[in-house]
Amino acid sequence: MIEINEVHKRFGHVEVLKGVSFNVSKGEVVCLIGPSGSGKSTILRCINGLETYEGGEIRVLDKKVNNRDKSINDLRRQIGMVFQRFNLFPHRSVLENVMEGPIHVNGESRAVAEKRGKDLLALVGLADKINAWPAQLSGGQQQRVAIARTLALQPQAILFDEPTSALDPELVGEVLQVMRTLAKEGMTMVVVTHEMQFAREVADRVCFLHSGTIVEQGPAESVLGNPQELRTQDFLRRVLGGPAPTHCENCQCLV
Amino acid sequence: MDWSSIGTYVPFLLKGAETTIYITLISLVISTPLGLVWVAGKMCPWKFISWPVSVIINVTRGLPMIVVLFYIYFVFPDIGITLSSFQASVIGIAFCFSTYIAEIFRSGIESIDRGQFEAARSMGMSFGKAMRRVVLPQAFHVSLPPYSNTLVMMLKDSALASTIAVTEMTRQGQLIAASTFDNTTVYTLVAVLYLVLCLPLMALTKRLETRRLKGA
Repeated sequence: MIEINEVHKRFGHVEVLKGVSFNVSKGEVVCLIGPSGSGKSTILRCINGLETYEGGEIRVLDKKVNNRDKSINDLRRQIGMVFQRFNLFPHRSVLENVMEGPIHVNGESRAVAEKRGKDLLALVGLADKINAWPAQLSGGQQQRVAIARTLALQPQAILFDEPTSALDPELVGEVLQVMRTLAKEGMTMVVVTHEMQFAREVADRVCFLHSGTIVEQGPAESVLGNPQELRTQDFLRRVLGGPAPTHCENCQCLV
Repeated sequence: MDWSSIGTYVPFLLKGAETTIYITLISLVISTPLGLVWVAGKMCPWKFISWPVSVIINVTRGLPMIVVLFYIYFVFPDIGITLSSFQASVIGIAFCFSTYIAEIFRSGIESIDRGQFEAARSMGMSFGKAMRRVVLPQAFHVSLPPYSNTLVMMLKDSALASTIAVTEMTRQGQLIAASTFDNTTVYTLVAVLYLVLCLPLMALTKRLETRRLKGA
């Protein structure tokens, strides 16, 4: 469904993606992990054309992603995106946020959009908040509305860009729960995350990025449970709070 | 101060106030759409449009309005454009204010988080629709208080038209004062009348600011 082949991307003189390749098939959940600045979010933004890329090719649903072409709007409709900072429209109520896409992008009737909007808000556990304004909601609630807003377009896949990074720790669980439900229902998802437990539990595959390349990828259990690469081991140790890495006496490599 | 002559002066001053209101309203009607054109030009990605527009805006903002009025009224006839003093004052004020309004709207648009635009685009909205449905309504909301404040300034700056002999309220005052030497009464009346015209507009600004604090 999503094919990424040798993608290169630079911001000025800095090359942030140095030939990234991976595929996502239908119904698969892929988690991208890695340290800050490794290019995780950039690759996600390239997939739906929010960023351009200089080399390689990204194909989504068998169409090349080119954000200078008009077809990008059709493609974006089918690939939803959930942002770290929610980006709800503050001048519209919760229900209007969810109905915005179906009515003004898909051209559906108000009645149909409203019914689906209410159903989706019930799905994310916010049936009682349909008339609230985004500013009146907690971070976790806002992110759940953002997920409902994305689902309202009935996308074939959803990209999550660190959906829980801007949340207070006690609000992370409610968002992850909604994402678990989606994964269970067979939604294709690409998730940039620092939630290792979530990745281990939900991801079919985990890709570890470092300095613009995929260092290691494979089933969640093996990448997170038994990483082969030193950089992956080091990263996981730091994230999971294990003992500080030590250096081998002979060759100075990380042990 | 001679209170007894107020009754004589007021009708003349009200006649002038009428012209003041006309100048303000016509300037408003011209300057707002023109300001929006400048914004679109200045934010345009093509340099050959945005650069000249930036120059126009910055030059106009850097000139005293009175100089612009003199230029339009006294210099334009040299290049074959002769305007009445009323026309010259309206064009000058509208032109100057269009650049101020452009800057108000531009800063309003730029104050909207880029994430809003990206969220709209990521839903499949075109550039135009994302601007129309998501960015501009929010930018308008942010810009409204300073915009209404500009309206107050426009009303007061219409007094500059008196310098090119438009008989608006200040000019009427000057004429009465020159013939009666009753400066205190006349200019106090002029000041009070400006205040009466400005107060509702200032109240509007205040209301829009409070609404912004309360609203989403």
